[in-house]
Amino acid sequence: MSIEIRNISKRFGNFVALDGINLDIPTGELVALLGPSGCGKTTLLRIIAGMESADGGEVLFSGAEATHLHARERNVGFVFQHYALFRHMTVFENVAFGLRVKPRRERLGEAEIRRRVMELLGLVQLDWLADRYPSQLSGGQRQRIALARALAVEPKVLLLDEPFGALDTKVRKELRRWLRRLHDEMHISSVFVTHDQEEALEVADRVVVMNHGRIEQIGSPDEVYSNPASPFVYQFLGNVNVFHSRLHGGFAEVERGSCEAGATAFVRPHDIDIVRQELEGGMPATVQHVHPIGPVVRVELQHDSEIIEVELSRERQEMLRLEAGQAVWFRPRQMKVFGQEASLAPPPARQPFLF
Amino acid sequence: MSRSRRATEEPGWVRYGLLATGLGFLFFFLGLPLVAVFVEALAQGLPAYLEALREPEARSAMGLTIGIALAVLPCNIVFGVAAAWAIAKFDFKGKSLLITLIDLPFAVSPVVAGLIFILLFGAQGTFGPWLAAHDIKIIFAVPGMIIATLFITFPFIARELIPLMQSQGKEEEEAAISLGASGWQMFWRVTLPNIKWGLLYGVILANARAMGEFGAVSVVSGHIRGETNTLPLHVEILYNEYNQIGAFAAASVLALLALVTLVAKTVVEWRMKKETAMLNTVLAPEKTG
Repeated sequence: MSIEIRNISKRFGNFVALDGINLDIPTGELVALLGPSGCGKTTLLRIIAGMESADGGEVLFSGAEATHLHARERNVGFVFQHYALFRHMTVFENVAFGLRVKPRRERLGEAEIRRRVMELLGLVQLDWLADRYPSQLSGGQRQRIALARALAVEPKVLLLDEPFGALDTKVRKELRRWLRRLHDEMHISSVFVTHDQEEALEVADRVVVMNHGRIEQIGSPDEVYSNPASPFVYQFLGNVNVFHSRLHGGFAEVERGSCEAGATAFVRPHDIDIVRQELEGGMPATVQHVHPIGPVVRVELQHDSEIIEVELSRERQEMLRLEAGQAVWFRPRQMKVFGQEASLAPPPARQPFLF
Repeated sequence: MSRSRRATEEPGWVRYGLLATGLGFLFFFLGLPLVAVFVEALAQGLPAYLEALREPEARSAMGLTIGIALAVLPCNIVFGVAAAWAIAKFDFKGKSLLITLIDLPFAVSPVVAGLIFILLFGAQGTFGPWLAAHDIKIIFAVPGMIIATLFITFPFIARELIPLMQSQGKEEEEAAISLGASGWQMFWRVTLPNIKWGLLYGVILANARAMGEFGAVSVVSGHIRGETNTLPLHVEILYNEYNQIGAFAAASVLALLALVTLVAKTVVEWRMKKETAMLNTVLAPEKTG
């Protein structure tokens, strides 16, 4: 089932949670709503689920108006951030709930319910926990039970609110991959909310970056990462060095610190080259710290009075043998320049630039 | 130094002094009266005690007491759950006013509460003439006593449920709805099981108060023997007639009731604690494996 969101807006008192959101989610896609807390992503998800009503705009399911459809009739599966498992029911009864509350004429027989529930528990690989209570499960197990429960009613859309937020890193990674597989097997549309950019980039087909109740960019994970549409997206997805610059035609003259002309250049830490000899067009700097972090080496450079973050591969660091206090030259390999008003930014093509 | 003392520990005489004060108070104001009730009731032996309880007026008083409690509790359960639900799960204007109003019976003297109902439903009261014209008797009759008891006891269940329901949030209800449950199914299958111990606790407290209430009921009852006499009122009447055995025998029934309530309350509290501990265990981040 496809979802279309037309001009949805929502306020809480004076706080604008959503401001004219337009979004199409085609059938079968796994979409991530990504943004900092308070950007309206959860509110949007709850409006799609029918748990919150929008002040304006409409939601369409498969082209049919669904704005005023009751949550019960929307046929969406919702997975809550804190799972919201029924605490007084066993795992089995939790998953069976959606089947048991169906109107009498649609309700399955007890044997059929039993078969379906065990099948779902098998799907989430937790059939051996059927008789436990939610309090006896670990976080990752609860999360999977919550998913099985949502899938029991065969929803057309699966909505997940920060599904992995409360889990530790390793479990989170496993569950992510598992969710991706599950989504591909079930042939449904899924929307999940997250503030973790890595999660969004890894799992989703498309990423919707939100800020202050607006959509900043919609695109594939690669698009939003390597071709951000706004300074916000640039800064939210990964680390970035910010240079203020003067614009000369299509060229930017970069000068850290001064921003008279008000253009800003963004450079990712891994898009900066460091060399030991003087470099034509490079900027001089002093190495402040060298931190090897897993597969990369993070180097902090001091240029004038500012700190620039650079990420090198281990091999590169082995060649350079950088140490604190050394004088080096650096040059960005690629960068992106935005004008003063982000919305009036020059065409978002990569700019050649001069120092 | 033979024994070192922790820096935060009080000297021995302070600790024992506090303990003695507490226990002494408990003995003189709770233990002694309780013992006295039973000693007085049994002063002329068990047969006289049982005889006093078997008297028709005593039995009618007990019946009325139980009857009023049975009439009041269902109303209180419905009201308490509805009010707690509204307060805990929805935001609306006048919410804090509603919470304050629920506490009103705690603040108002029961005698005043009784008087209010006389002013409303009494012969000279606001609705008096209309009631008289339709031949409905409220004041100096059982309906008035039920109304007065309702007023006195209605905060107990709501007060117990509001914090419980607030702490549980509404996610489970939302989950039930998104899985296709109707409002009733959500209430019976999700909400009620989650609050059952809190509700039972509230019912026990409300019941104890309903059976023991004196002031408000006394004002509206009219003290008609065998008709509008509850146990507490019966105790007073017998005592005023110097019927020591009868008065204390009736009082001992009330005291027994209090003890039963206490035990039930403790059991429920213990179950509730156990269950909430089990249900609300906050997850430690999951370990792999």
